[in-house]
Amino acid sequence: MSTVRRHDAALYAATGVPGFDVVAGGGLPKGCITVVFGGAGSCKTIFAAQTLAHGARHEAEPGLFVAFEESPQRIAANTAAFDWRLDRNGADVEVLDAQLGATVVQGGDFDLAGLLAIVASRVKARGVRRVVFDGLDVMLGHLPDARLVRREVFRLREWAQGAGVTTIITAKADPRDRGSLGDYDFLQFLADCVVVLQHRVEHGTAFRLLQVSKHRGSNHSADEVPFTLGSGGIDLGGATRLELRHDASIERTSSGISALDGMLGGGYFRGSSTLITGAPGTAKTTMAAAFANACAARNERTLFVSFDEAPAQIVRNVASVGIDLKPHLASGVLQIHSFRSRAANPETHVGRIRSLLEQHSATSLVIDPISALGQSGTEALSEGAAVGLLDLAKSLGVTTVCTSLLGNQAPLSEKSPIGISTIADTWMHVSYMSHGGERNRALTIVKSRGTAHSNQVRELILSNTGLALPDVYSVGGEVLMGTLRWLKENEQRRHAETSEREASLREREAEFRLAEVKARAQAALAEQALGEAALERIRLDRQSEVQRNASEHQMLRERRGAEESTEPVSGKSP
Amino acid sequence: MAVLRLCLYVAGDSPNSVAAERNLRGLLASYPGVRADLQIRDVLVDPEGGLAARVLATPTLVKVAPAPEARVMGDLHDLDLLRSVLGLVELGLVSPEHGPR
Repeated sequence: MSTVRRHDAALYAATGVPGFDVVAGGGLPKGCITVVFGGAGSCKTIFAAQTLAHGARHEAEPGLFVAFEESPQRIAANTAAFDWRLDRNGADVEVLDAQLGATVVQGGDFDLAGLLAIVASRVKARGVRRVVFDGLDVMLGHLPDARLVRREVFRLREWAQGAGVTTIITAKADPRDRGSLGDYDFLQFLADCVVVLQHRVEHGTAFRLLQVSKHRGSNHSADEVPFTLGSGGIDLGGATRLELRHDASIERTSSGISALDGMLGGGYFRGSSTLITGAPGTAKTTMAAAFANACAARNERTLFVSFDEAPAQIVRNVASVGIDLKPHLASGVLQIHSFRSRAANPETHVGRIRSLLEQHSATSLVIDPISALGQSGTEALSEGAAVGLLDLAKSLGVTTVCTSLLGNQAPLSEKSPIGISTIADTWMHVSYMSHGGERNRALTIVKSRGTAHSNQVRELILSNTGLALPDVYSVGGEVLMGTLRWLKENEQRRHAETSEREASLREREAEFRLAEVKARAQAALAEQALGEAALERIRLDRQSEVQRNASEHQMLRERRGAEESTEPVSGKSP
Repeated sequence: MAVLRLCLYVAGDSPNSVAAERNLRGLLASYPGVRADLQIRDVLVDPEGGLAARVLATPTLVKVAPAPEARVMGDLHDLDLLRSVLGLVELGLVSPEHGPR
């Protein structure tokens, strides 16, 4: 329905304020009254002037600017910085000086009938379709009482409806203070559309918000939408990009860790938010820095917001794992800003980050850690701030990676300290797994919207060449990493080595045994030889004995021989 | 004798325009010695004339002479204020309540 209305030029007047027509459900109601409220410096005049200039130059709707508060020269000067500046004597937009001036004395009841007659005359003369009454409260403030103010506003509405021109009335009011509208409160009921602008400055950081609090017959968004001031004037660009996000979100952007890109189906979705939780020292910052490095390397403007760690410290630390941020800092494509988490409340931090994002025109954002927002202020406030920050980044189409400190008491419970895990598109958890006497980093993708991500727990390994996420061994349902994984990986080889060693040992043992047998055999041979030698000697000894005995016996016979010789051999001699 | 040149811008016959003209004429009538040249201009009839004179709210009384120019916006019910703005005291004149000197 809103889509139809958005393009219905008969019902809605396009403002030319980027994003506004989307938020307002089509634009400003044509031929009706829109009231713009805001405090001093909230860009009421710029909003009105920008709408007028756009109508005159792009919608063939000439404009008339009735300036109660500032001179036409001032209006020209204040809009000179924008592409659509309103010149004092502009042919398309007439600026009518409606300042009362110092010489005018208030002398009782008056009305706007004369002014409206003049305006009507100019409208008729120039075919004006859009009229701005800027700072109507300045004029009506001279009326003696609220009843008369009301009467004149009704007179103005009657005129506007009769003339059929699209009318914008701006009035000063502090939207944060509900009572401050005072006499102008009824303007809200009388108007067809109410736009509230806010300009907050907290601790030196300004942020601007726009809200369409009322829009008759339109399904507008009543959210407070952040806006910026650029050369084009007011820009609610984020809201426009929100509409386009469906197209953009198909695009993937590298996480800076190739293995992780693989696990996530190509990387993070552009414009999405990623949360990395984990205990201290689980390489959360390194992972975030890898992302920042990858973005900056593609020449995408990147903002790195660190809490409680100085930029130089981060650069040095991540350099040790092969991530060199220095060239990106030098080229200006990357900015690192560090804050003390306790130095300000969460809302202030968010405001600062918001303005840094705007100033740097960043498309990528790192917040390290976002849990720092929880260190001051109440829990509800910090959670609101963190969620708001991610929401803002998303609405601006900024790809965000934030880390969050998480105790390791229950490493598997994966409980996010502040409820940002619900708004984050991707949530990764890094835990220590203590096993076999060491602690190793284990990365799990808890969720990743729109991605068929890996369900596996991976080991996260840091080295001087960067981050790696090798496949894990799982044995008996348990993931093995560190030394255990090394052991597992080498088991086969080790087994083979062992067998080899054992075989060679056995061989050598056999050799030893054989050698021993051989040695023993040699010894036996040697003994045999000795034995034989001994035997020989015995034999020789015995032979020589026999011979000697024989010769002795002969000698003895020879000495007695004669007699004996007759009786030689018979032995039967008497 | 000083001449008071006045111009009263009105919006038709709206109540405060009518009241302003009545109050102004009443005051001037009480100063018979003052020569006042009063013009009534209806912005509804001649808006461009009103724009040229930078008249925003109606009714507005413009004292053109003697210089300096002065303007009073509203129904002119405060006669003391009106006397002061028109410089009737400075002109050396007194109101009928105090009688002629």
